[in-house]
Amino acid sequence: MKRITVIAWIYLLSLMASAVRADEAARVVVVVSSQNPIKTLSRAQLTDIYLGRMNRFPNGNLVKPVDLSESSPTRGEFYSRYLGRSQSQIKAHWSKLLFTGRGQPPPTVSSGDAMAELVAENPNTIGYLSPDFLDERLRVVPID
Amino acid sequence: MRMKIGFCKAHFAQGLMMGKLIIAAAAVMLVCVTAAGAQVTETPNFSFNGFGTFGVVRSDEDQADFASNLFSPDGAGYTRDWSPEVDNVLGLQLTANLTSRLTGILQVVSKQRYDETYTPFVEWANLKFDITPDLSVRAGRMVQQTFMVSEYRKVRYATPWIRPPKEVYDMIPVTNADGIDFSYRFHFDGFTNTLRGLYGTRDVNIPDGSEANARDVVVLSNTLERGAATLFACYGSFRLTMKDFDPFFDAFRQFGEEGEAIADRYDIGGKRFEIMSFGSRYDPGKWFVMGEWALAKTRTFIGDIEGLYITGGYRFGEVTPYMTLARARPYSDTSDPGLSLAGLSPEQAAQAEALNAALNEMLGSATNQKSISVGVRWDFIRNADLKVQYQYLDLGDGSPGVLINRQPGFEPGGSVNLFSAAIDFVF
Repeated sequence: MKRITVIAWIYLLSLMASAVRADEAARVVVVVSSQNPIKTLSRAQLTDIYLGRMNRFPNGNLVKPVDLSESSPTRGEFYSRYLGRSQSQIKAHWSKLLFTGRGQPPPTVSSGDAMAELVAENPNTIGYLSPDFLDERLRVVPID
Repeated sequence: MRMKIGFCKAHFAQGLMMGKLIIAAAAVMLVCVTAAGAQVTETPNFSFNGFGTFGVVRSDEDQADFASNLFSPDGAGYTRDWSPEVDNVLGLQLTANLTSRLTGILQVVSKQRYDETYTPFVEWANLKFDITPDLSVRAGRMVQQTFMVSEYRKVRYATPWIRPPKEVYDMIPVTNADGIDFSYRFHFDGFTNTLRGLYGTRDVNIPDGSEANARDVVVLSNTLERGAATLFACYGSFRLTMKDFDPFFDAFRQFGEEGEAIADRYDIGGKRFEIMSFGSRYDPGKWFVMGEWALAKTRTFIGDIEGLYITGGYRFGEVTPYMTLARARPYSDTSDPGLSLAGLSPEQAAQAEALNAALNEMLGSATNQKSISVGVRWDFIRNADLKVQYQYLDLGDGSPGVLINRQPGFEPGGSVNLFSAAIDFVF
């Protein structure tokens, strides 16, 4: 009985937390190369790609996610906005895979410029950016 | 009692020789694969990572120890008021990406061992080859994935607790295997299903001359994930032999048919040790709840044990309070009438009585306890967390629960209060 009450409380609290989350203006967008045929991704697909559970785009092409460095505020915003997870949760997730030999976190680049460059030149990569770094070689992927 | 300790020691001892053989075999495989594959030439790259925990535990039971596991020599309580031995661990890992499809890992772990040293031992040493992006095979040393977090249970930064619930995670005596495994993953309707199989062997040599052998280790597990939800199921089995116990059961066998029957029922020579477990987890990000149930079966003095736990927590930013309810109980008899003394000479009767008492001591020390833990995790800097946890153990009637190193003044049953604090890190 006590157990059920606790679970019920946790559930209620989480509902409240999601209700108050306002849909802020996009300060980080998901990008692919303009040569990449991908038009859109679901939140679940993006999550699977960034957590290493899926290594292909829905159309079957290989996908390699790229990260900004851990100190980048854009990175923190990307994970909390699109994956609903904090940086420490992401770190814990990759620790599970790394220390069991089952996977390694995405490679990182040190700046928005470097991210734009890498994604533009590699159609099988996916990245995220502050909109300031967008150019014609990149395409924003809307996430439903 | 001494034999129980012998068994305990067996678990932690890590025989390196078998590992070396397996690593050599893996190296041969590597040469074959690279020669045959001749893939896109890529420069191999190596990465070095580590994890660790610095922690202390305090127990208010001063006649027995709360330890890292049943096979540790000591811990908090009788041996020390504040014990760093229970949770302290350091792991270092070298990962080699040899080609885009071939990866090798070597992970060495240092923590308190059966002989009270911190001599590092090989936890992982294998080569993984990706046949396709979703099908891989490995050869070398692997951790058995018996429970949901078995494989990374020593990486405390990756787990919600100070330590995995002992009521479930202490159920298997051998946690590694030297052999081969496969992992096959497929996607359907937003689900990801991962099927894994492991076959191997594990010889554990102990400096004092005794040894334990796990043979025909088979572990089959399946993980089904969709979004925040995970379902896990596993069946594991191996044949366990510990020659250390032979003299004890041979002594029973000297008492004719009755003694033979008792020895056959409880001895541990090559008998099958089986375990099945089910687990589930729901973690949408802000909060999580997870639970596991497992049943271990063996026709030996170790007996059959059922373990389960449920854990939940809520993340307030970088602060995560959590709570765990857990339970372990024997499923088989915890006592045996033993040899009947009727018609024995006084010397024989005395010997039979001593044997009966020793057997019942072994059967009676089966884990039977409930526990409740409340704790909080604080991710105070990148790559590290601080956890504090209070745990209340309610020991079953006549059972020492998970406590070891029991002193003459120890009274089974009752309750124990534990306080733990730890810093976990990864790099």
